[in-house]
Amino acid sequence: MPAIQVTNLTKTFRAKHKAAGLSASLSSLFRPEYQTIEAVRGLSFEMESGELLGFIGPNGAGKSTTIKILTGILFPSGGEVKVLGYIPWKQRQKLAYHIGTVFGQRPQLWYHLPAIDTLILFGKIYEMEDRETRHRIAELAEAFEITDLLETPVRKLSLGQRMRCEVAASLLHKPRLLLLDEPSIGLDVVAKQHIRDALREMAKQENVGVLLTSHDAGDLEALCKRVIIINHGQIVYEDKVSTLKRSFLTSKLVEVRFAGQIPADFHIEGTETLKVAKERYGAKLHFNTRLTPVEQVIAALSAAGTLVDITVSDPPLEEVIAAIYEKGVSPSP
Amino acid sequence: MFREFKFLLSLWKTNLAAAMEYRAAFISQSIGMILNDAVYFVVWIIFFDRFPSIIGWQLTDMFIVFGISASAFGLAGLLFGNAFNLGDIIVKGRLDYYLSLPRPTLLHVLASRVVPSSFGDFLYGFISYIASGQFSLGGLGRFLVGVALATTVFLAFLVLVQSLAFWLGTGSIFTSMAINAIITFAIYPITLFNQTAKVILFLVVPAAFMGAVPAGFVKGFSWSVLGLMLFGAAGFLTLAILVFHAGLRRYESGSAIQTEV
Amino acid sequence: MKKYLAVFKINLLNCLTYPAELMMRSATILLFMWIFFQLWHITFAASGSDIINGLSLHDTMWYLLLAETLELGRPRLARVISEQVKDGSIAYLLNKPYNFLIYQLSSGLGESLPRMGMLFVLGGALVWAMAGPPPDMVNWPVALVALAGAWLLHFCVNSLIGLSAFAVEEVAPFEWIYQKFVFILGGMLIPLDFYPAWLQTIAKSLPFAYMMYGPARLFVLPDPALFAQILVGQLLWLALLGGLLTLVFTRGMKRLAINGG
Repeated sequence: MPAIQVTNLTKTFRAKHKAAGLSASLSSLFRPEYQTIEAVRGLSFEMESGELLGFIGPNGAGKSTTIKILTGILFPSGGEVKVLGYIPWKQRQKLAYHIGTVFGQRPQLWYHLPAIDTLILFGKIYEMEDRETRHRIAELAEAFEITDLLETPVRKLSLGQRMRCEVAASLLHKPRLLLLDEPSIGLDVVAKQHIRDALREMAKQENVGVLLTSHDAGDLEALCKRVIIINHGQIVYEDKVSTLKRSFLTSKLVEVRFAGQIPADFHIEGTETLKVAKERYGAKLHFNTRLTPVEQVIAALSAAGTLVDITVSDPPLEEVIAAIYEKGVSPSP
Repeated sequence: MFREFKFLLSLWKTNLAAAMEYRAAFISQSIGMILNDAVYFVVWIIFFDRFPSIIGWQLTDMFIVFGISASAFGLAGLLFGNAFNLGDIIVKGRLDYYLSLPRPTLLHVLASRVVPSSFGDFLYGFISYIASGQFSLGGLGRFLVGVALATTVFLAFLVLVQSLAFWLGTGSIFTSMAINAIITFAIYPITLFNQTAKVILFLVVPAAFMGAVPAGFVKGFSWSVLGLMLFGAAGFLTLAILVFHAGLRRYESGSAIQTEV
Repeated sequence: MKKYLAVFKINLLNCLTYPAELMMRSATILLFMWIFFQLWHITFAASGSDIINGLSLHDTMWYLLLAETLELGRPRLARVISEQVKDGSIAYLLNKPYNFLIYQLSSGLGESLPRMGMLFVLGGALVWAMAGPPPDMVNWPVALVALAGAWLLHFCVNSLIGLSAFAVEEVAPFEWIYQKFVFILGGMLIPLDFYPAWLQTIAKSLPFAYMMYGPARLFVLPDPALFAQILVGQLLWLALLGGLLTLVFTRGMKRLAINGG
């Protein structure tokens, strides 16, 4: 049975239109004007148990609304949703025992206390036995490398340390599904790496499904096998992350270094020279794989001189996604 | 029921730990509050010295009424401190955190904070009762019962008023007025008010249940007064829970205050 | 000078931008005036005479109105300044080319004037309905002068309390106790005239009487001798407290500069 089943989900809000100025605010008191916002329009997708799914979209796309509906905090205007077999808004408390949440902007750890106090409290909240709680805390502390941090008041921790504790806390009760909303916001590269690695390991070991929303493509690349791109309340793209990168944009970046110097106007047929290194021992090229086969480029480069080093890379995922937002619907084959 | 009580105990323990992180502030605020309450009471001593009894109400009665109200106010802040800023929590969308956890939302939200100065109020109530000159062991028992029920009514009223935030958004102006109202009215002699006013003080802003009625109970046991207090507490509590959950349904429909999409 | 006027104006306008909100916030005075009326009209009736210690019910009510207007309308500078000290934003304010204290004075005045105005109008309407028309307008200028003096005295004490945040972690207890001293020794809930003689003497030798009793009393029963007495008292205490404030402030600034801010 899939962990998440969403069929034709719709959600419409009525928001009061707030106007500035005295007469406007007085009239809105007596005759309020409403704006209808269609946050989600006919969303359908599934997520298997233990799957790692990325959920991305620009601000206002409907991500947060969808997550809230999945956790039962919000109920939909239409459509059906089943999470771990439960209807979230109808069986929220029951569902809560089996899911964990991390909201990047909303901390769960008590600010003035050491993280361990929150963890112990969570043990009580999820009705775990004391011994079980202690054992679990030790386990998580090792996995997330926070053993030394547990006794320090949370307010004294760096953001990276705090997030590791937050994610650990969300896994205390061995949930079957973990929902992460912008977990790496504000973190530096090292901290992000740290969390992603620990999370991936844990997810694999415990077969926890992970649904991640993020603006950071790095999160997706590191954690998710599959991605759903959502915009204007609808799914815009849905496939494996690798396919996304491969099939959608077809440009490649090549960086080469030669044993000997190359001419200043170095050029390979079918490619675009982005840059020639100052000493002229290397260059950066770009080409479209649909117009110029990779093989052709490699061969031409080998013929151009003695290759010392070569790197062929994909464009950053951000670009890919941005292109999808702009282009809209289906990817090119 | 019992599960939730165990949960509450651990929540209160965590609260206490958090408060103890700022021990100095906690103590100074508590002591400050005791002094604050005591000094305020001096006004009444002056008043009753000049005007010994207004229609049957005397200084010792004031001591008791003050005692009940102060301890009730303090107990509310100690055990369910978030009752004072529930409206704010609702408006800022911070209920989501509690909603995603498997414990009853209202209980969880309310018990997640301690107001540091509350301990001072709570203690002061007892001091005031003892100083009333009508102290007795039986009276103390009735005082405790009175405080428990007064706290219930006070909390229920707070939840009721704060729940307006589900519909009114930033209803905090009404909230602070309502809180002012119940506390102010609770400590004034009930004999001051005419029939219409008394109805308001029982059914709308239940200050009578927070002050005069329990105070009467402390002075002497009476089944009817006990019954009245229980009725008032049960009534307001039920109403508060109903209103809160009605508001919660509205919150979950998203039409309350949704900003993120 | 111009810059302080600008600060004053912007605070004033800020307060007036949402008149509905200003009205709501000021509605608390209705609560207090109503309850005071219940208390005093019964007290006067029970005492058997129309005049107590020279004041009638009508006088007492208008006395209390002015007292409450000042109490509810004055800016909460202790809290504002203490928060600026605690979160360090005071550094920004000190870097500006104006005097910090005068800045606080102008901004406090800007927000306080409309509030006091609204409080007086709303509360006054209710008191008029309950106890009769306000005192003769001839009295008003005298009361206004005393009111200004009282406002300034409050400003000095509040600023001192706020600045104590440099030395103490919690200023709230000081705020509460100060307010209660004003209640009692300033004759806020009961006119000082009703106090026993010995207490009146003590009260009148302390600044609190000049912060509350002075303007309120002059408003209802002015007389030249009293006015002179109040004025002299206010000036003396202003000199003392103002001097203390300046001293504490400059001393504190020096310390701040030495410590690197």
